[in-house]
Amino acid sequence: MAFGRKKDDREVETYMKLTPKTFLLYFIIFAFCVIIIAPLVIVFSSSLRTPENQSSPLNLFQQFSMASYSLAFHNMNYPMEFLNSLMTTAGSVLVIIVFATMAAYPIGRIKTKLAKFMYYFFISGLIIPSQMVIVPIAQTFSRLGIPNTRFTPMLMFITCSLPFSVFLFSGFMKSVPVEIEESAYIDGASLPKRFVSVVFPLLKPATVSTIITQGLWIWNDYFYPMVFISKQSQYSLPVGMLQFLGDKENPAQWNILFAACVLCALPLIVIFMLLQKQFINGIAAGAVKG
Amino acid sequence: MANEPKKKRKGANTSLVFNNRMYYFLIPALAMFLILWVYPVLQLFYYSITDFNGINYDFDFVGFKNYFKIFENGTLINSIGNTLSYAVVTVILSNLIGLGIAMALNTKIHFKGLFRTCAYFPALFSAIVVGFIWTYVYMPSSGMIANLLSMFGLDGTAFNPLGNFRTALFAIAIVEVWKAFGSTMIIYLAGLQTVDESLLEAGRIDGCTEWQLTRLVKLPLISSTITINVILNVIAGLKAFDYSFIMTNGGPGKSTKTLMFQIYEIAFDDQKMGRASAFSVVSFFVIILITVFMLYFMNKREVEL
Repeated sequence: MAFGRKKDDREVETYMKLTPKTFLLYFIIFAFCVIIIAPLVIVFSSSLRTPENQSSPLNLFQQFSMASYSLAFHNMNYPMEFLNSLMTTAGSVLVIIVFATMAAYPIGRIKTKLAKFMYYFFISGLIIPSQMVIVPIAQTFSRLGIPNTRFTPMLMFITCSLPFSVFLFSGFMKSVPVEIEESAYIDGASLPKRFVSVVFPLLKPATVSTIITQGLWIWNDYFYPMVFISKQSQYSLPVGMLQFLGDKENPAQWNILFAACVLCALPLIVIFMLLQKQFINGIAAGAVKG
Repeated sequence: MANEPKKKRKGANTSLVFNNRMYYFLIPALAMFLILWVYPVLQLFYYSITDFNGINYDFDFVGFKNYFKIFENGTLINSIGNTLSYAVVTVILSNLIGLGIAMALNTKIHFKGLFRTCAYFPALFSAIVVGFIWTYVYMPSSGMIANLLSMFGLDGTAFNPLGNFRTALFAIAIVEVWKAFGSTMIIYLAGLQTVDESLLEAGRIDGCTEWQLTRLVKLPLISSTITINVILNVIAGLKAFDYSFIMTNGGPGKSTKTLMFQIYEIAFDDQKMGRASAFSVVSFFVIILITVFMLYFMNKREVEL
């Protein structure tokens, strides 16, 4: 077949022959993808119109103008919100990886009831929604004297990510051979040394998976920043989108609103396009290995 | 330590390499988890019997008044019902669609990567962006679906799923499915790829139809993947908040007020932290009950298959 690529297991991939049955399969999947993608295409095409153009958004790509984008860019104060989002996400993910790998180390290695209890203790945090505990958390913050800055939501992002990350890293810890550590122990490596230079590098697939899954939700989350941030200069991208809330049912504002939507999602779309394989593997690894 | 094992309790850690000093590694994560997640959950119980309003700290204890209040006008039952319906719809639809698409993509078909990308793409967007996009899609008379209906000569102006209390909850559940089924599909795809091709070959030689192969070989082999997907979707479904908050604001009437939306509303709009805490306590038990039941149910099924 023309599209057949050589696979590394020496098996040439063969595609299905085009019979009426496979044709139907293609048609269903194709139609389904069109339905899924349609709203996004319309949003993208409308965002390329001038704000005044109010003909039906279904007339795709009838105009190519950056006017709506420049307005949305300006209204959102995009560079600042982008930087806030970037700082928050990168900072949180970094801390999550350090804390979660450290916590997963004893949980994955020690074979006692206490370690097992710790494992379930962390996982049970998964089921608790943020909205449920936001009242006491806000009280705890005010009592601990933590002011509302752009770092306050980070504390919550880290905490909320711990259950899943600990779960993921403990699962992967099993794939790091015990023998490697035993020989490092015999060679005289201390516990921290063993963790940093033997175990941590071998957890790389789980680290990638954590960066992707947790980075994705932290970048997209608007709830914690909405509750904890009051200064506009500290808004992240999703919180900045909240100011458009009143425009969502006003067709006259749609072109600008849609441009803002595209701008908000753009960084993730670019990263996804570049690292598609890591994304797909990272999401699957999180659930299958754990 | 290893020299005197008889002093140790049964089941204690006797490993030289993996000794108890490793537990120090737990401290940062455990401290954060306890202070910012476990302690607040426990505090809910305390706040739930006060008339705390979020600002004034000399609040009074009011006993179980908050609990009676939330039962009184059907608020609690209404939101539990809404949350459950939302969860059931999202769990069933995203698993059926996710599994169906994963099975179709697990065959030897062209453009597999492209289809997979399309299906996963919505998962990249923030809930708030998704909420805006779907408000447009559902908009009566000028929205995407209404316009499409008009194009086919149907009455587009009558289409208003978010404005009707019978369809609003279902409409926002569809939005959640649109965003979430891609990740579900990717997990199923990974599960299906672990199914040994030789087993399917053996089945074909024995004269199984494709449907029999799917039901009797593939599904039992990916039962753990099904469990994890269902559980993940149940947990996400019970957390329903985003689209009630962004798209419908709980309305029309109380038809899209989920547990989490109701808690948020009582706490931040009505400024009744005590009552919101009582609500949270009840939700806490509802969520635990359902999750434990689902885990038990799925594990039992897994054994049976």
